[in-house]
Amino acid sequence: MSRVLSIKDMHKTYAGGVHAVRGVSFDVKEGESVAIIGSSGSGKSTVLRCINRLIEPTEGEVRLRGDLINTPNTDINDVRSRIGMVFQSFELFAHLRVIDNVTLGLRYVKGMSKKEAEREALEVLEKVDMLDRKDAFPGNLSGGQKQRVAIARALAMKPEVMLFDEPTSALDPELIGSVLKTIRGLADDGMTMVVVTHEISFARDVADRVIYMDQGIIAETGASSIIESPKTERLKRFLSSITEDD
Amino acid sequence: MVETTGPEKNYGSQFGISKLCAVIILAIFVISLPASAQEYRSGWDIVEGGTSSDLFSVQAQDDEIWAFGENGTIIMSTDGGLNWQNYESSISSNLSISDSGFGAFIAAGTDGTVIIKSDSTSPWREISVEVGDGFISGISLTGNSTAVAVGNNGNIWTYDVQTWSNISVGEGDLLDVSFLDSDKGIAVGELGTILFSDDGGGSWDYRDAPTEASNSRIIDVEFFSDIRAYAITDNGEVLKSSRELTTAVGFLWNMQYFESEGGSSNLGVELTSIEIATTNKFLLSGADGYLSMSKDGGNIVNRQIIPVGNSTSFNDIAMIDGFNGVAVGSSGSLLLTERSGEDEQIGFEVMDFSEFGNFVDYSKGMLIDGLFATMNIVIFGIFLGFFLGISLSMMKTSPTTLKEIAQKRSPALIRIFGIVFLVIGIVLLRHLMPIFENLGLDGWEYIYAPIGIINPDGITGDLQFENFLFLILGVSLSLLGMLLISGDGTYKKSTYALGGREINWNPWGVRPLNFIATIYTDIFRNTPLIVQFLFIHFGVQIGALIGDPGAEMLEGSNGLITSFLRDDILSNRACVSAIFALGLNSGAYQCETIRGAISAIPSGQMEAGRSIGLNYMQTMRLIIMPQAIRICIPPMGNEMVNLVLNSSLAMVIGYSELTRKAKLINAVTFQVFWSYGMVLISYFIVTWTLALFLRYLENKTRIPGLGISGGN
Repeated sequence: MSRVLSIKDMHKTYAGGVHAVRGVSFDVKEGESVAIIGSSGSGKSTVLRCINRLIEPTEGEVRLRGDLINTPNTDINDVRSRIGMVFQSFELFAHLRVIDNVTLGLRYVKGMSKKEAEREALEVLEKVDMLDRKDAFPGNLSGGQKQRVAIARALAMKPEVMLFDEPTSALDPELIGSVLKTIRGLADDGMTMVVVTHEISFARDVADRVIYMDQGIIAETGASSIIESPKTERLKRFLSSITEDD
Repeated sequence: MVETTGPEKNYGSQFGISKLCAVIILAIFVISLPASAQEYRSGWDIVEGGTSSDLFSVQAQDDEIWAFGENGTIIMSTDGGLNWQNYESSISSNLSISDSGFGAFIAAGTDGTVIIKSDSTSPWREISVEVGDGFISGISLTGNSTAVAVGNNGNIWTYDVQTWSNISVGEGDLLDVSFLDSDKGIAVGELGTILFSDDGGGSWDYRDAPTEASNSRIIDVEFFSDIRAYAITDNGEVLKSSRELTTAVGFLWNMQYFESEGGSSNLGVELTSIEIATTNKFLLSGADGYLSMSKDGGNIVNRQIIPVGNSTSFNDIAMIDGFNGVAVGSSGSLLLTERSGEDEQIGFEVMDFSEFGNFVDYSKGMLIDGLFATMNIVIFGIFLGFFLGISLSMMKTSPTTLKEIAQKRSPALIRIFGIVFLVIGIVLLRHLMPIFENLGLDGWEYIYAPIGIINPDGITGDLQFENFLFLILGVSLSLLGMLLISGDGTYKKSTYALGGREINWNPWGVRPLNFIATIYTDIFRNTPLIVQFLFIHFGVQIGALIGDPGAEMLEGSNGLITSFLRDDILSNRACVSAIFALGLNSGAYQCETIRGAISAIPSGQMEAGRSIGLNYMQTMRLIIMPQAIRICIPPMGNEMVNLVLNSSLAMVIGYSELTRKAKLINAVTFQVFWSYGMVLISYFIVTWTLALFLRYLENKTRIPGLGISGGN
């Protein structure tokens, strides 16, 4: 299987001097779903944002299908349109209806006509089960519905890889299920994805591979089975702290 | 159910507000309607002259007024024309012409009958002249017992030492004569004849009439002063002669063109006489009830309302002074005025400004005019300010730093750019050096240099804005050039230790667009608006720079909007200045308001926009701005209300907006409290309507489910 994403020795130091990521390397293969877990402040969200350069990595290489994408001359807008991103706090465009949220990228990045874009949008909205609320404003949706629209918005661009940044952290427990179900459906369809998550059970059940990050480095990585039988003391402690919380 | 009733309820309340707005606007129009329907009455009053004979001629001098008419009718008044008495004379001819001067009165009939009254105590005596088959048609005194008369076939008679002598100067009939003193006189006649004498009528020289009048019958001439003489033709033209540099009055004659008649030289009425009140004020009489007056030498001639029927033919007017006068006409008509016959606004005379109703009646029209003037500068000011505000706020929030720009190019290319910039900068600064040296400044005085280099020659020289541009470009390009040359390819900030503290120096973090916008807002927010008004209007004279060429560009277009722009906005220099002062100032403040709203949008929105592949400007335009504008409607409402209120400062540059009108009303009525109080209410209505509209807009554009709002 070909490598979709390839990250090599990534470092990020924030302006204030915080060294959030200290040399992270991993690959994501076609159709693979990778879960990144770790406690708050471990640098997992930073890694994700460095991939589509919402944050500029200080050092290291990011390759999308073999092409280096963190150079000043990269057409970053093209790269971003090939990488879908879903945010923790949804970030739907509040002034636009659901359907317009989804068609925005299609119309202004891919240059589709309004009609064409709407046809595509209806398709992905159906996939996330949000077709009946297509004319609602985001403010009138529940958290789970918002996140499913956000997924549809990213999906509509037909990305080569999807990045999920803690997609369920801002949701009420009873709403998490519908979003996880949607993401699971995508994984089953063979979508390549990187999911930063606190849902250990989700990582265990859905992810092909789990990366555990601690203090800016990858502390342990392996198949999802490492959650059942962690090798390092750090992951063991992390997992037990989470189960205690539950 | 909830979903269907929700929007309807919402719509209902919005409709309520828009209805309210409509009612208010309608109310303003209704209130303003009566102001435009003004009624006038005649400035002439009928007086009883005690005769029903036609009166042909009237003269006023000192305390006496004499009027002459058919069959030797003579009436006189000694109380300014209020009471008249009949003067019994033995004359039976029609006395159609007369003159006064040198303390004497003279009157004559066409058949040669002439009577003279040498001073106020002596009686009338007859000094008739033999004219044979001919006639005399004009007479003028050249002393208290000397006169000149003109008549048919160029005949001129002079009366001196109790005898008449006669000369003839040509073929055409002469129709009138007028002497300024005992020497200088003008005679006029048919076929545009104009004659001039400067020896009391002994000899005459021809003068050229304007070509337009070369075939006209010039029937009346008035030699008013050393600087002005007027004449009229019977078909409604006025000729004017002025002293021009070294040329005396009477040499050059010009047609008067009437602005009030669309630039025509013909009034379109049969004129009978002209009476000069002051150098630039004259009255005209004519057939069919025609009386008119011009206060500006004939540019605008206003026909006057008369208190008698239009069948009256007015034959002559005599002014006692600049305002009081008498007009005479057919069937003994005798009119008296105290205001040069000018129409009176009804109620004006009786208007008592100590009564509030009268005061409001008088001032509301002016206030409405002022209101429209205010609205003009406010609306255009808001548009200009909003455009500037949006542009500047986008510039201010632009994240692109010098580092990002530099990183995309190779270090060698950046160095080359640096050298080029430095060279251009130094060349520009060198160009300015001599101008700086000529300013003659020392030490700290150089803070005023920017003003000096724009206008080095003062009021006699041109404004050289390019110098200011060169200064800014020169300094910034030199600095930028030096920075680029020093670039090492990493563009990192440098840290220095100074007195035990760390100093961070990061020129690469400068955001160029932000820098430019900051200079602009700093200038406009740190100087008083009233000074900006004065500087822009009197200093920059933006009306001449932008307004005049703009008006010229729209010359000849007849569109509703373009002709409004041309006539009401661009041609009015004070208006253009006011719009720019308000707009440029408001733009600086609106920029900060919009910038604040942009910062209030969560950074995730920008990230979300960028993450689907939109570029920075697309994200700003499609995602950030639409939400930011909604957020900043309430503070922008503040800004706009401020702009309306600040527009009152336009009075300092002479723009007649609301506040200035209040000052004018106060100057007439002396009702200080009422004048300024009415203006307060007028401003309140405008800003309150604006606030209502903004509230409506806020409701209309609210995003369902977003934000905390006090309303539904």
